[in-house]
Amino acid sequence: MTLTIPDILIALGVGFIFGWVLDKGGLNRYYKIANVFRFTDLTVLRFMMTGMLVGMVGIYTLRHFGLLNLTAVTATALAGNFIGGAVFGVGMALSGFCPGTCIAGIARGQLDYLIPGLLGFLTGGLIFGALYRTDLIQWLITAGRPELAYAKLPEILGVEPLLLAFVFSEAILIFLYVVARTHARRPDDLEKVVEHERVLAGLEESQPQAIGD
Amino acid sequence: MRWLLRQLEKDLWSPEVAGIGLGLVYVLALWLANRSPGASGTFFNVAAVVGKPLTAGDPANQFFVSMFPPVTEGLGWQFWMVAGIFFGALASVLIGRHFRLTWMPVEQWKDVFGGAVWKRWVIAFIGGVILQIGAGIAGGCTSGLALAGGVQLSPAAFLFIPGIFISGAIVQLLVYRNKY
Repeated sequence: MTLTIPDILIALGVGFIFGWVLDKGGLNRYYKIANVFRFTDLTVLRFMMTGMLVGMVGIYTLRHFGLLNLTAVTATALAGNFIGGAVFGVGMALSGFCPGTCIAGIARGQLDYLIPGLLGFLTGGLIFGALYRTDLIQWLITAGRPELAYAKLPEILGVEPLLLAFVFSEAILIFLYVVARTHARRPDDLEKVVEHERVLAGLEESQPQAIGD
Repeated sequence: MRWLLRQLEKDLWSPEVAGIGLGLVYVLALWLANRSPGASGTFFNVAAVVGKPLTAGDPANQFFVSMFPPVTEGLGWQFWMVAGIFFGALASVLIGRHFRLTWMPVEQWKDVFGGAVWKRWVIAFIGGVILQIGAGIAGGCTSGLALAGGVQLSPAAFLFIPGIFISGAIVQLLVYRNKY
């Protein structure tokens, strides 16, 4: 089955919004990704958690009324999902990007995203493919895989799906509220610190003038 | 109208406002196309174009054959989605007049790693390699697993996300040391 023109337009449109919010969220900048792992700037977490909140409520509500079906996404594999995430986190913290944000970073004119970034993904893809049949990779992607590897949490827990989506989104709301109260207003990200220092320096310089006025 | 234009030109939105858009991306993709956006798969497809002829007759060939475009119709969809990411970010950058050709990150990087461009490029390359291998092991990346799985309440996502944060924090502890 090949894609029709409307299919392509939907894919482009969805990607367009994605790229737009990645840039407006600041996710395509090194310091934003680097600092979430130092817990000094929680932008990435706030962005992702809000996205998950809106996404899960929207998706499970539409599903509840029979307007959409879920997709298979990724198979659950206890070892692979977690260890793969741990490997992924090393690359993300070092480089300050991930596959999607790298693409959005290229659009800002960042040549380190365009050349070594994309070449890195390609090389990593080749290495993973070459190692795919090895015992280690086969163990990683299959170990701890339940019989219903594609089952979602509501199915596994035997809970009404929409209810569970609301329970999760309540937890995310509480998280966002706590972050807003404790983190968001602190001049914690570098941009704000630099701005803050400039204001301080500027105030010292402009004080005599202010008095003169 | 002027307010709207000012918002469109802004360099950064509040993470929560941008996050609402992110949530809509996943709702719209599933609703209109029955897909979950993911970026890393497309890089495996590109790798397969190179890897498939290289590994002919080798056991490693199996992976590249399975990833070779176009295996399924889904493949092309993700490619166009990734292209959309580029154009969406480009529109945001151009409207705000923030486009700037740079060889390395403008903020913060130099304080930690110094001003050498080659060092940034080596680390960006190694980071990219590690990211793609990690995505292969886990079965997706931040978009195709953490978010696509998270919004659908897939257990894989809730194993993947802690993995990222635990190792990411350890790496930054080693990189930033006393600045952590």
